[in-house]
Amino acid sequence: MPAIEQRGRLWAVLLPPALWLSVLLVAPLLLLCAFSFRLGIGGSLFGGWIATLDNYRTLAANPSFLELLGLSAGIACVVALVATLLAYPVAYYLVFRVRARAGVYVALLLIPFWISYLLRVMAWKVILGSGGAVNAFLLWLGVIQEPISVFFYSRYAVVITLIYVWTPFVALPIMATLYRIDRSLLEAAAGLGATPGQRFWRVTVPLSLPGVLAGAVMVFIPTVGEYVTPLLVGGSTGAMYGNLIQDFFGRSANWPLGAALAVVMLVGTLVLVGATSRISRVERFFQ
Amino acid sequence: MRDRAWPLPAYYFALLALLYLPLVILLVFAFNSGTILVFPLKGLTLRWFGQLFATEALMRSLRNSLLVAAGSSLVATVLATCGAIAFVRFRFKGKGLFITVALLPLYVPFVVLGVALLLLFSTLGIPRSLLTIGAAHSVVALPYAMLIVTARLVGFDPHLEEAAMSLGANYWHTLRRVILPLIAPAIVAAWLTAFTVSFDEFAIANLLVGREPTLPVYLYSQLRMTARLPLVVAMAAVVMVGTLSIFLTLIWLRRVVVRTPASAAGATSALTARA
Amino acid sequence: MERQIGRWLVPATLVALVVLACGGEKKQPATAALTPESTGTLTVLDWAGYEDTSMFIGFHHKYPKVTVSVAFGESDADIFGKMKAGADACTFHIYTGWQPFYVRDSLVQELDTTRLSHWAEVPARFKALGQVGGKQYFVPWDWGYTSILYRTDKVPGGIDSWTALFDPKFKGHISMWDDGPGAVTVATYVKGWDETKLSEQQLAEIEKMWTDQRKLNRFYWTGEPELVQGMAAGEIWVAYAWQGAYNTLLGQGVPVAYAQPKGGRNSWVGLYGIAPACKDKDLAYAFLDEKLSSEQGVGLISAFAYGHVNPAAYKSVTDTNIVKALALNDPTVLDRTRFTPIVSEADRDHFGQLWARVKAAQ
Repeated sequence: MPAIEQRGRLWAVLLPPALWLSVLLVAPLLLLCAFSFRLGIGGSLFGGWIATLDNYRTLAANPSFLELLGLSAGIACVVALVATLLAYPVAYYLVFRVRARAGVYVALLLIPFWISYLLRVMAWKVILGSGGAVNAFLLWLGVIQEPISVFFYSRYAVVITLIYVWTPFVALPIMATLYRIDRSLLEAAAGLGATPGQRFWRVTVPLSLPGVLAGAVMVFIPTVGEYVTPLLVGGSTGAMYGNLIQDFFGRSANWPLGAALAVVMLVGTLVLVGATSRISRVERFFQ
Repeated sequence: MRDRAWPLPAYYFALLALLYLPLVILLVFAFNSGTILVFPLKGLTLRWFGQLFATEALMRSLRNSLLVAAGSSLVATVLATCGAIAFVRFRFKGKGLFITVALLPLYVPFVVLGVALLLLFSTLGIPRSLLTIGAAHSVVALPYAMLIVTARLVGFDPHLEEAAMSLGANYWHTLRRVILPLIAPAIVAAWLTAFTVSFDEFAIANLLVGREPTLPVYLYSQLRMTARLPLVVAMAAVVMVGTLSIFLTLIWLRRVVVRTPASAAGATSALTARA
Repeated sequence: MERQIGRWLVPATLVALVVLACGGEKKQPATAALTPESTGTLTVLDWAGYEDTSMFIGFHHKYPKVTVSVAFGESDADIFGKMKAGADACTFHIYTGWQPFYVRDSLVQELDTTRLSHWAEVPARFKALGQVGGKQYFVPWDWGYTSILYRTDKVPGGIDSWTALFDPKFKGHISMWDDGPGAVTVATYVKGWDETKLSEQQLAEIEKMWTDQRKLNRFYWTGEPELVQGMAAGEIWVAYAWQGAYNTLLGQGVPVAYAQPKGGRNSWVGLYGIAPACKDKDLAYAFLDEKLSSEQGVGLISAFAYGHVNPAAYKSVTDTNIVKALALNDPTVLDRTRFTPIVSEADRDHFGQLWARVKAAQ
């Protein structure tokens, strides 16, 4: 077919998403970077400002901000690892035991996520809060004299809530990975005399690792920037880096400093993704 | 030869029980006559359900969420289909760049995307509104939708299109009558995924909300108000029962959501984008 | 079957979208002369709790078909940031300390006070607070205190000092407002310093005070309703609070008291401004005018025990205990309390960063 006709068709399908993404993804991120180089929001919001590194200097001068980023990354790591570990048996069960009827089982796992996340967390408060069921039970038993509040409004509460939320999700990429394992390899191992345990640890696990890692990365990235869960259950000590950014764009109104904080996290996240992308590619799932 | 008795079924059901526990608690409290979420219950009542539909703000926020989810999922699905077709069927310079940008939202934390879009809209003088939230959601949902449609599209023989066109159909005709119907299940899955991503999304919506809240934003504001909490809990109970029915219907239909493990993983790992 | 679903999917969604969108508000231009039949939407940027119709009851009765659409801000800085970014709000609610910044950045327009029929009823002391450079920009509306709210059943000894917020006796049961400048103000009361002249060393000490306090603090409240819930549930015993929370809890039968601390209560006055970009200025003026009426004053005082600028309201309030306890019928009490001083933008930024460091500390 004529080359021009081909080009025309290409542009017809390529232009809409490309344009949309340029305006609503690329441009905002570039604007964010640019904005991190100005000071304050006084005067005109977008005109007549002088470029300065002051926001980054402020960042460097406030080590607790970057430490909080490190802490948030640490929390995200723990959540990703624990959620993956907890989800692996579920994925294994659904792929290797339930097999054909996995659809229903998966659906059952997913239904709760159609209900508001906020409300489910508040419901946990009912169970774990100082007026809640666990404390009421312990008080009744006489084990404690006063309600324990550490379950709610603490950093532990943030970590536990995040693990609780992510575990069912990360089961799915793990399932996809386990499906792709060539069963003939397992049969061959059995034929060579491997026990089920050996088959699992020597064949299944190593083959599934890249995909499992990709799943963990998919949990890690949103969790680093998480700010909603700390708002709900973090109390005074459970704040994460995302809360800092949200504060500077909201109640503490210092947009450029917030932008600088956001840029630092963005760059860090992308570097991390780039580093792990050799080992695992998320896109692999979908092929 | 059985494994050592790994209690796998017990493990799965224990996890499921843990998952559903807060929902059961919510259901119980929907009938509680007290206004604070503490045990013991004050008494049983149905009046919250009655008040539910009379609470204009709550119904309004539900309508807003449906509107935003429908709009953003439509846009995301259409753009994703375009992008998938471009990616799979055409060769062009910058293909790598395009796919990197298209998948970028997967790697950008929500709060960063939210504040970046806030900056964009403020620069352009666009006030925060449901439209700004919808635009943000379409960007967030695009990678998932595109991956789902691409997965389906790569499975089809490009010669199908050539065959159709050699029989006299022009490209658009071919697209409409041959390709789209064949990838329709993936498009529906992508659309459902995008809808789900948007409906319960809070992190970005909270940053970009104007005067009209979406349901999660409204719920969040009400979580802090004693008197309105039971209504919110009643709403949660209604939504739960409603979505359970929808899911059971879908499972019964069997064809729409879960087709293959790959698209299952794709469609539902997109739900990892919950706020 | 998929083909059929696919074919109808797009048209169905489009139809649904149109139906849903049309079910929403239709914006109609407000007519020059407002009548009870007038329709339209008035957009307001306000604090949590003021969205209820009882807070603009006169306006609602006079123009029942006008929709008042309220967006929320969590702090003055938040509201300022939102207005700067072009929030869709015709009128907005600020507090003392911020007036000059709105004028400087052209975020508020000068008022034509002849359009406010109740303007003459407002005492001059309040009008003056809404003036910048001699021109009237803001309509004063509410006033009140900041002090310590506490549960009398959990704190039987009572509280008489701002140091209660830092007292290890109440570990895990304290709640502070999530606001840097507010925290600095409290610290200056405890230390007896001048907020406008703080040295680096003093700021560092303030930061340490609040960083240590974090271990005693259960959560930082961002909206009064959240604090009320926490106190009613017994999680919070001692809190930085405005008297609105006090009155609400009393109404719920929770045993609370509002302290008269040695450092003195902090006081504030709330003001409404009209945005220059507002297209429904008639509605905005009518809204603010009705807010100044004595009927509205009675409503505000009864609901939140906040003072109202219209003295005619005080006589009609039925709960005289509240009026007495808070000296609501005597605005001269404001002369004897401590207003938050107007703080420079640079200082405010420093306070904000201080607070961010307090919350980020490991």
